[in-house]
Amino acid sequence: MAACEPNRARLLCMLSLTFGFFVVEVVVSRVTASLAMLSDSFHMLSDVIALVVALVAARFAARTTATDKNTFGWIRAEVMGALVNAVFLTALCFTVVLEAAERFTEPHEIESPRVVVLVGVLGLAVNLLGLCMFRGHAHGGGHGHSHGGGGKKGKKTTAGNKTTKSCSNAAEETNNLVPGTERRERTDLPHGECVDVQLNGSASYDDPEQDHSHDSASQLNMRGVFLHVLGDALGSVIVVINAIIFTFVWQPCEPGVPCINPCVNSHCTDHQHINHTLVELQDNDHGNHSGLQDMPIPLARAGPCWVLYLDPTLCVIMVCILLYTTYPLLKESALILLQTVPKQIDMHSLNSRLQELEGVLAVHELHIWQLAGSRIIATAHIKCHDPATYMDVAKRIKAFFHDEGIHATTIQPEFVTVNSESRASLCELSCRTQCAPKFCCGSADGPKPAEIAAGAGQKAIAAAASTAAMLEVINESLENAARDQEVKGQGEPKAEEDVTIAREVESSL
Amino acid sequence: MLPLSIKDDEYKPAKFNLLFKLSGWFRSILADKTSRNLFFFLCLNLSFAFVELLYGIWSNSLGLISDSFHMFFDCTALLAGLAASVISRWRSNDSFSYGYVRAEVLAGFVNGLFLIFTAFFIFSEGVERALEPPDVHHERLLPVSIAGLLVNLVGIFVFQHGGHGHSHGGEGHGHSHSLFNGSIGHDHGHGGHGHSHAAKHGHGHGHDHGHGHGHGHDHGHGHGGHGHSHGEPDCHDDFSHTPGKGSSKQILQGVFLHIVADTLGSIGVIISAFLMQKYDLMIADPICSMLIALLIGVSVVPLLRESIGILMQRTPPSLDHALPDCYQRVQQLQGVYNLQEPHFWTLCTDVYIGTLKLLVAPDADSRWILSQTHNIFTQVGVRQLYVQIDVAAM
Repeated sequence: MAACEPNRARLLCMLSLTFGFFVVEVVVSRVTASLAMLSDSFHMLSDVIALVVALVAARFAARTTATDKNTFGWIRAEVMGALVNAVFLTALCFTVVLEAAERFTEPHEIESPRVVVLVGVLGLAVNLLGLCMFRGHAHGGGHGHSHGGGGKKGKKTTAGNKTTKSCSNAAEETNNLVPGTERRERTDLPHGECVDVQLNGSASYDDPEQDHSHDSASQLNMRGVFLHVLGDALGSVIVVINAIIFTFVWQPCEPGVPCINPCVNSHCTDHQHINHTLVELQDNDHGNHSGLQDMPIPLARAGPCWVLYLDPTLCVIMVCILLYTTYPLLKESALILLQTVPKQIDMHSLNSRLQELEGVLAVHELHIWQLAGSRIIATAHIKCHDPATYMDVAKRIKAFFHDEGIHATTIQPEFVTVNSESRASLCELSCRTQCAPKFCCGSADGPKPAEIAAGAGQKAIAAAASTAAMLEVINESLENAARDQEVKGQGEPKAEEDVTIAREVESSL
Repeated sequence: MLPLSIKDDEYKPAKFNLLFKLSGWFRSILADKTSRNLFFFLCLNLSFAFVELLYGIWSNSLGLISDSFHMFFDCTALLAGLAASVISRWRSNDSFSYGYVRAEVLAGFVNGLFLIFTAFFIFSEGVERALEPPDVHHERLLPVSIAGLLVNLVGIFVFQHGGHGHSHGGEGHGHSHSLFNGSIGHDHGHGGHGHSHAAKHGHGHGHDHGHGHGHGHDHGHGHGGHGHSHGEPDCHDDFSHTPGKGSSKQILQGVFLHIVADTLGSIGVIISAFLMQKYDLMIADPICSMLIALLIGVSVVPLLRESIGILMQRTPPSLDHALPDCYQRVQQLQGVYNLQEPHFWTLCTDVYIGTLKLLVAPDADSRWILSQTHNIFTQVGVRQLYVQIDVAAM
């Protein structure tokens, strides 16, 4: 993917920079025996890990061809990468909050602040560089692919006119998803290479489509990286500010001069203090101020205490900023993984427009979900009159979906000719998820509904069954109305479950 | 007809929406065994954490305070599992056409990530301590870690048996121990560090916490389908596939991993305390930390692999062998020329969805082909199937 190369190059570059800096920080921390530097270096390491995750995800996602196990290819990897980074960032924020809380109860002085300033500035430089690299991509690389519907409309209508073209293009309209598998299947066509398969809307959308969805999915990934680098940059800023203020404002305890440090609690068990006894003296001192004048030794006090509390305060502010910016990324990638209907699609209106198409009697089990980026997949059961007219209806439906920007659709026809058959095929062919363990949708006949009736709310089932007996053509809106009625009729939570089952049965009929 | 009375005050607008919602969630939690267990364990953990925090503040012990923060973090994971188990039962709507059932997989995945993160931080902390061995004071922390161990043992017991014992009348796939029979075969041995670190923190190094919590919350011992709360006989009729115990498989697996991680941590603390007191081996502390971190990491891998597979829309592993057979059988149906573009994926535990396209002859009986195809795939457990029929024109 030409569009991905700069991504990967940037990631690799940033990765090597960050890793190098991590090594530098570890060495410095060992040399100066500064624990704060060591912990900061682990933050850098977590940054490295985030970059590795993003890189791996980007690499995987470049393989969009289908494999045996992953028939959709690895496109989703980028959404996963974004989610992992967002979760990682959140966990990091928790850690920082915990550390800050601890610092509040026990403030630490910074040892060798000048070294800290130096290293902090270096780290900030690295992070700013990373920010520039990823900011340009994360925001500017859009070209508006995320609006899957709008941008694609133009393309689809022109392509839709090519319905007469068939041949090898036949399967291509849904090939965008799985360019790999088609090759071997086509060789099996018994009527030579030019079987006129009556699919509609055939056109080659392959490459631009792949690029588009790839780009918008990788945008998610890059956003995750960007946020991580931003968090790190903020951390470096805090380190630098803190160290600078510490250098200029704080008056430390000079060794050799007796002084006390009023800011640090005497947690004798947890800290080593240079002047243990002096601290105890200080405690006595607090209790008895007049005692101070009696002390023969002039006591110096270490610098203003608020300096020590600056660090955790800034950390908390940083955490707030980070969480605020990470939340949208977390939400977006989680929603994709939860199989939501993409934002730009209005299920209700789509459903009603679909039902208005000529030849469509009913629509069941309509599911639309986003694979990644702008690749949207739809599946539905469409009820039509008979097989002869089916292919025309199918063409119309496909064109309709293409107009919406959904190019990978699977439409299952259901035919209405005889009452009993239609009922049987309906129950068999449409099983809702929630009812999976309750419905024996095996060989869909009479006994199954009876079994269900035995187990669940009988009234509801009986009502549903009789409804099915009366209606040949079931409109989804009618189902909804009936379902709502049922819900209102039974108000308790226990009955809720029955209602859920009833609803399942109803909508499967 | 005139109304006999006009009682406008009978109309009650929806007030106290929040309270109503909360009570609704509460009832929903208590209705299902899994979420009930999760909820009670969460309460137990939370109260223990508060007690520890108060005791730590009162006795001014940093180690105890940090351990209580660990437990709070742990509770976060439990809360995520609880939220997922409630959310996954919500009805589907316009935006979520499949419902919210994927929430449990996502929760398992996120918990796995948290565990990995925790393991990473424990490891880093162990490294820090190895480089700069601090003074170690165990006396005050030993009783606390023992108490934590007891709490976690309760959790293990609850989620090992209670978690799966859903009254699926008669189905009884013996999955009460589904953890160890492992329909997916996970090794949940380890992961229990949790509180060990509290003890380790006692020695005054700031950073430690974040990790502590990697208590693997084992999520989800899949009950085939979500209906576990209803105790109705499910109809796992024909399947050759593993009849898991319901939908919360991922959630429970994650919770369990978390608890075991915690338990191991407490055990690790006790052991290292013992080693240090008896043999004065200061190095035991960080080494224990690192070992525990490794164990946690290893134990989480199966959970992560499974969740990632599901989230990446991978073909369900349990169907890997059955599917080519099915394809064969479908292609042998009369009138079917070809089977194209099969896509099978897992929505949530034991719920599989598939789409495929059939190229059929113009004179073929489409209805019959459809029903036969559905039969074939239902026998392997794919109940939601979308078969597109493309008629080859002569």
